[in-house]
Amino acid sequence: MSHQNKKPEILEEVLSSEGLNHPFSRRQFLKLSGVSIIGISVLGPLFARGETKAPLIIMKQAKGIVIADPTKCVGCRRCELACTEFNDGKAKPSMSRVKVARNLNFGPKGVFPEKHGQGNWGNGLIVQDLCKQCPHPVPCANACPNDAIVVKPPTNARVVDAKKCIGCKMCLRACPWEMISFDSDTGKATKCFLCYGKPKCVEACPAEALNYMAWRDLTDKVPPRVVPTAVIPPEKAAACNDCHKK
Amino acid sequence: MAKYGGWVGKILRVNLSTGRIWTEDTIEKYKDFLGGTGIGYKVIWDEVPAGTKSFDPVNKIIFGVGPLAGTGAPCNGRTAITTLWPTCWPKALVATGHMGGQFAAELKYAGYDSIVIEGKADHPVWLSVVDKKVEIKDARRLWGQGIRRATIEISQEIGPGAAVAAIGQAGENLVPMSVVMNSYSHSAGGVGAVMGSKNLKAIGVRGTGSVRIAGKKEEWEKLIKLHLSLLGANNQHVVPSSPQPWAEYYDAASRWKGSRGKMWGASTPAIETGTCNPHDLNRIAYRTNNAVHYLGDIAWKYTVRGNGCTGCPIRCHTMIKVPSAAAKYGIPEVGQNTCGGLNFGRSFFKTFPDGPRGMTGIEACMVGMYMSDDYGIWCNYSQLQRDFQKLYYEGIIKSKLEEKEFKSYSWDKYEKGDPSFLFELLPRIALKEGELGTALGLGTGYLLERWSLSEEEWKKSHGLNYWKLGHPKHHSNEEAGQCGVIINTQYNRDPQCHSHANFTRNGLPLEILKRLAAEIWGTPDAVDTVGAYTPMNTGKAKMAKWSLLRKELHDSLSLCNWMGPWVASPLKERGYRGDDSIESMLYSLATGDKKNRQELDQVAERIFLLHRALTIRDMGTKEMRTQHDTIPQWVYEDPSHRPVYTKGTTHLDKEDVKLAMDMYYEEMGWDKATGAPTPEAYRKVGLGKVSDELDKKGLLP
Repeated sequence: MSHQNKKPEILEEVLSSEGLNHPFSRRQFLKLSGVSIIGISVLGPLFARGETKAPLIIMKQAKGIVIADPTKCVGCRRCELACTEFNDGKAKPSMSRVKVARNLNFGPKGVFPEKHGQGNWGNGLIVQDLCKQCPHPVPCANACPNDAIVVKPPTNARVVDAKKCIGCKMCLRACPWEMISFDSDTGKATKCFLCYGKPKCVEACPAEALNYMAWRDLTDKVPPRVVPTAVIPPEKAAACNDCHKK
Repeated sequence: MAKYGGWVGKILRVNLSTGRIWTEDTIEKYKDFLGGTGIGYKVIWDEVPAGTKSFDPVNKIIFGVGPLAGTGAPCNGRTAITTLWPTCWPKALVATGHMGGQFAAELKYAGYDSIVIEGKADHPVWLSVVDKKVEIKDARRLWGQGIRRATIEISQEIGPGAAVAAIGQAGENLVPMSVVMNSYSHSAGGVGAVMGSKNLKAIGVRGTGSVRIAGKKEEWEKLIKLHLSLLGANNQHVVPSSPQPWAEYYDAASRWKGSRGKMWGASTPAIETGTCNPHDLNRIAYRTNNAVHYLGDIAWKYTVRGNGCTGCPIRCHTMIKVPSAAAKYGIPEVGQNTCGGLNFGRSFFKTFPDGPRGMTGIEACMVGMYMSDDYGIWCNYSQLQRDFQKLYYEGIIKSKLEEKEFKSYSWDKYEKGDPSFLFELLPRIALKEGELGTALGLGTGYLLERWSLSEEEWKKSHGLNYWKLGHPKHHSNEEAGQCGVIINTQYNRDPQCHSHANFTRNGLPLEILKRLAAEIWGTPDAVDTVGAYTPMNTGKAKMAKWSLLRKELHDSLSLCNWMGPWVASPLKERGYRGDDSIESMLYSLATGDKKNRQELDQVAERIFLLHRALTIRDMGTKEMRTQHDTIPQWVYEDPSHRPVYTKGTTHLDKEDVKLAMDMYYEEMGWDKATGAPTPEAYRKVGLGKVSDELDKKGLLP
């Protein structure tokens, strides 16, 4: 498929996707973006550059997401254990795709005890960190120099393709919520793949604090943990320009 | 790939005198002892000579965890800490303290199956364990600080996810009644001062590694779900405390408190615990509320949520938020603990202005937890508080203190039940200030000796629950008749065994208990209604042996004996059966070392016999029956003079208890006259060398 053909498809996907934070009509979009359908064909040559090196740009929306209720979390970490034992055959919270341990004692902001903080040492609130299955642009996927983060049906989760992953950890530095894990045993990154639609963490929670539901966009609702420091590979940056530049 | 899963392969060894840090291979040296208490007893047997005192640098502390710690096996958060026990009177003998929290799992993720500490640092230090990087660090800035401040500073250094096991001022000051504590509220009693004697303020652990499951992950997942389905509430109570739509039975004494309309009232917004149908594995955490269990229904509205150890869905610690305590006493408004820790402050008082289940009692709990869990004071299963009440109300404190010191306490506040009295008392225990503070911190045996009081009087008293060697009973005749008594004779502190009580008190009606007992111990006669006992029989001896072995097995595998065993369940369709082989299935699948129930129980027996051998070696006598396995007089008396074996009384007949001990020794294959294991008993479990060593010392029957 040529990129001239692919691009309108990309736009169609963006425009038809549901659950974005600021949905706007097709007309609005075109107006805001300052391009027109005709304009796209003008940009064609940019998209067409080097078909074999076509950058992977994820446009498909995920279908599901795991949502957490921190007020119900009892801090048992059974979700982290289920994630890694039932998927990977080992108990390894450091590579769990649901992250509780790091907030367990003091909350997401670090070592602030008692009334100033959260967690077991603070007001008791335990924040479970979960992958947002980001809409386009997907920061982890964009940062991957090897296009190893791909969309996988049936959930359309953003998944690390272990065969492609080279273990460079750029995706770890790209996620504002620090939701990419690294398996030190395999030297590969890993992230929440929604367990093919039956998340183990949700099944394992003894307090009904995790729920699997239709995807919704949480990217502007959950404050980031860090400022991402990953660099987008130049080919992808150029492709971003194709659509996003004024 | 390592041959075995479960274990992570290395024992971390640290000599604080020389600063040497090294590792040993777990499998090579300790596989036959599993981990936890098993490794603890083995190290003490091999390396700590008889006659060593608790605070001698040659004494060792073993932070033992087992192959299931850090896995998804439910209730695996326990660290067993073994050392020569400083409150064991009149002589330190081997014993173990157990803490939950996150320490056990974190240690495994860091790559260690246990830590053995020996020697004594020449200045205060803490041990930093961050995966492979292990360092002895200067703790002079932390010395004199409470557990919380020490934990915060160590967490700032090695990361907020660290598990920090620290001692408070009590441990530093060599107060025997002191704890080591991790994860805010999880403590092991008795160990604090042994760490203090080594100048070891804390162990901070951060681990990013893994515990491998040897078996197929699908099978492991199935087994975990089976185990979860068998869980009840705390203490494996398998019926709810109030009628529920799904429940055939209920028992008001059950710790299964969740119900429609019962809310975690201090959560924002409040959360309903609901009917907690046992088939709904996503509601297990709402079953238990130990604040309500101990403080009454008033505690619901102060409940933030349940809390507890790694991997445990039961949540036996309850986090409570009490703004009035914060306003009155200037302490944080949130507190959490369970059992003796929750009740630490409250138990000192005989009365409160608003009664035993009022607001003042809750505030006393808050003040007590705030102080004792920071100073690191131990309650010795609330013996400290029971002793205190007796000593005060019988005028003994007044007679033993100089007038000036006596008057320095606000006794009027104490008598009125004013929690602010705790601000006067608890720091003085931790800081060894004055005669009263010093004496209370010694533990019952040494306190009695210091004040020239008679232990015999303590052994006669009904309210005190004192048993022997400076320690109280723990689930004795009041829970399981003769079986409970046997269990309480076997250890060098309170036995900390729940296997028997968690069965007799699980809430099922007697006919079901008897049906299950027949399947497990071969006869329905093994169990009676609590408080309506029948004379001794072999079923009860079998149950006692099974209970003790399960305790050691749990403490060595890192399963919680407070939650298990799981031989009964809340499942009607299973006839309320649990599964007596759940431990061996978990062990086999996690480690890859396939053992059936009987084979694993034999390992547990090996561990239990090593404890027995250590006790005999260090006491220097084989006369265990008369010198060690003693029973206090109160067991044989009923304060209301009801006849034995009538309904409502838990006292027992002396001759029948003698028979009980006979039958127990016989069941164990030990010598009945001395209560010492025979050479054959040692050999049967692979402890031939231990038997030979005891033989050389004339310590075989």
